[in-house]
This record gives sequence, structure tokens and C-alpha cells, in this order.
Amino acid sequence: MQSRSIYKVPNGKLLKVFLQYDEKRNLIEEINIMGDFFAYPEEAVEMMENKLKNTLLEREHLLKKISLIIKEYNIQFIGLDAEGLTQGILMCKS
Amino acid sequence: MKEQWRLLQTGFNTAYANMAIDRAVLVANSEGKVPPTVRFYGWVPPAISIGYFQSLTDEIDLDTCKKLGVNYVRRITGGGAVFHDKELTYSIVIPESHPEISKNIMNSYGRICGAVMKGLQHLGIESEYVPINDIITGGRKISGNAQTRKLETVLQHGTVLMDVDVDKMFSLLKVPNEKIKDKLIADVKQRVTSIKHLLGKEVSFKEVAEAMKMGFEEEFHVELIEGKLSKEELALARKFEKECFSAKDWNHRR
Repeated sequence: MQSRSIYKVPNGKLLKVFLQYDEKRNLIEEINIMGDFFAYPEEAVEMMENKLKNTLLEREHLLKKISLIIKEYNIQFIGLDAEGLTQGILMCKS
Repeated sequence: MKEQWRLLQTGFNTAYANMAIDRAVLVANSEGKVPPTVRFYGWVPPAISIGYFQSLTDEIDLDTCKKLGVNYVRRITGGGAVFHDKELTYSIVIPESHPEISKNIMNSYGRICGAVMKGLQHLGIESEYVPINDIITGGRKISGNAQTRKLETVLQHGTVLMDVDVDKMFSLLKVPNEKIKDKLIADVKQRVTSIKHLLGKEVSFKEVAEAMKMGFEEEFHVELIEGKLSKEELALARKFEKECFSAKDWNHRR
């Protein structure tokens, strides 16, 4: 299943997510995180996209995993945060 | 004695060359081969640049670009799509460790935008910095800015709008909802301004550049000495232009 979302992050930028997911298992297969936000280092977003493959599409689980990746790789987002990204991803399902 | 930085006035170039030069200067500065550098430039033909994380086909109407002879390029900086036409673009490249540059990214945005604001002041325009990355005057945007940090070096580039054609801009940019496009255009017309609009007269690129030079000198307490790109920077810029910024792989990667 493929889906897209557009989400204006509160006090932040416009996030656009492309999501391909396994409906039965509720898992991310492929994800593109796009928009006019800033991330340092920029390449970390591609790494985030890779790390999110096979992640369960459930709020708590997703938020925890995204927060862990941000911490582990010392990613600094401006105009986007873990909550905003989680919301943008889950909006692809609704 | 004031610290001396290099000033580059590279004139008008294609989108690919412009983005390649900024990146070449970043690399050269990171290797300690050139001093901190402020550059002023313009875009011929007019072009749209998109932020590093944006989808090219989501943001830009490529057919209209082709029809109107407008180039497009993906930046190495984040942020949004910008139509570069009648404007001065600046870039600043400086080591992250420089005492004038805050480790805090947001603070450094504010500081560099401070230079642009001082430049505008020399043209008789009062403005304010609105985080994350805008400069506004009378509630309307006159400058957008974007920063990256690579190789322990800061590159920030941004626009100073000299004149703006919102209708042309929206013929080139896609909007998320076509149904509200007219309203969006009307909104943006209310939210964007330019030096020409504010002063009621044309101001030349040279005059704006002179004002911005003073703005950067005052903000950072330095002297900008006009210089040229080194042979190495030129070669690197040509390489980046060919292999990256004019390449389909790069521009269509998202």
C-alpha cells in the first residue's frame, strides 16, 4: 500500500511523507521524508529513512524509535521534531 | 586592526554554477585554503532552487520552467523552494570554530541575518529577523535564508528581494491544493515585499551589494576585501557543477 501525507508541523515547517507499507503486518516498507525543514547533518535523514524500514506503524513505537535514532546519530532538526515526524507518518494511514 | 575576510562578486551565473561555487568555497575554506568569504551573486537565467529535502516534481512545474527558460536546481541546504529572479543572493562561508559564529545553529542564523538587516538599513529599510529563517519588513518577507554545516564549516546563503513577480513565481511552483491557488497567490502577494516596492524605485544590484557589504562588515566587525575565486575553487566548482548540480541524479533524487 502506498500513501502520502502533508503535515504542517506546529511552529515548524511543512512535512511531506511518502509511505509504502505492509497493511497486514502494519510495517513500513519504504519511506521518504520530504519538506522545507532543516536537518543537521542533512544526510542523516536518508539514514533515518533506512532505519525506519520494518518499523511498526504505531504511535508510541514509532515515536520511541525516531527519538532513539535522533539521539544516537545526534541529528538536529529545525522546523521538525520527533512528534511531528511521527504524526506525518501516521497521517499516511488515515 | 580589523580581521579581513574575502568578498567575492561573481556576477550573474546559472543556477548550477551558483550552487557549485558556494560548495567549492565551503570545501576550500574547510581546508584552510581561503579566508572566511562573503559572496554576492545573481541568477541568469532566472531559476528555482529547492531545499535539500524537497521533492523536485512535487514543488516545481518542470514544463513551465522549460517553456519560460527557467533553470532549476537542488540546494545542499534545507528550506523551501525559491524563485530567483530580481534579487541579490548572498552567501557566507566561515569555519564553525570562528569566534563570530555561534555553535548554536539558530543563533548563527540570527547573527548572519543581522548582517542582511544592517545592509537593508543602509538602503533605508528597517527589518526584523523572524526565526527560523526569514527577514521581514512591515510584516512582509524580504529575505529567506538557509544554512548548512559540513566539514566543520558553515555555509549560509539567502536572498534579498529587489523586485518580485508573484504570478510568475506561482506559474512555476506547484501548490498542494490547486483549488485554493488563487487565494494562495493573493495571500503571498500580501506577505512578500521587495526593495523596489518599499522604496518606490528601482535600486541597482550594485547599490544593494554595496549596502550588504557594509552590513556584513558592521555586523562582524571585519573588513571585506574584494578577491577572486582561486584556481582550485574554480576547478572544484566546475566539477561540482558537472557532477552534481546540473545532474539529473542530484536534482531528481527526491
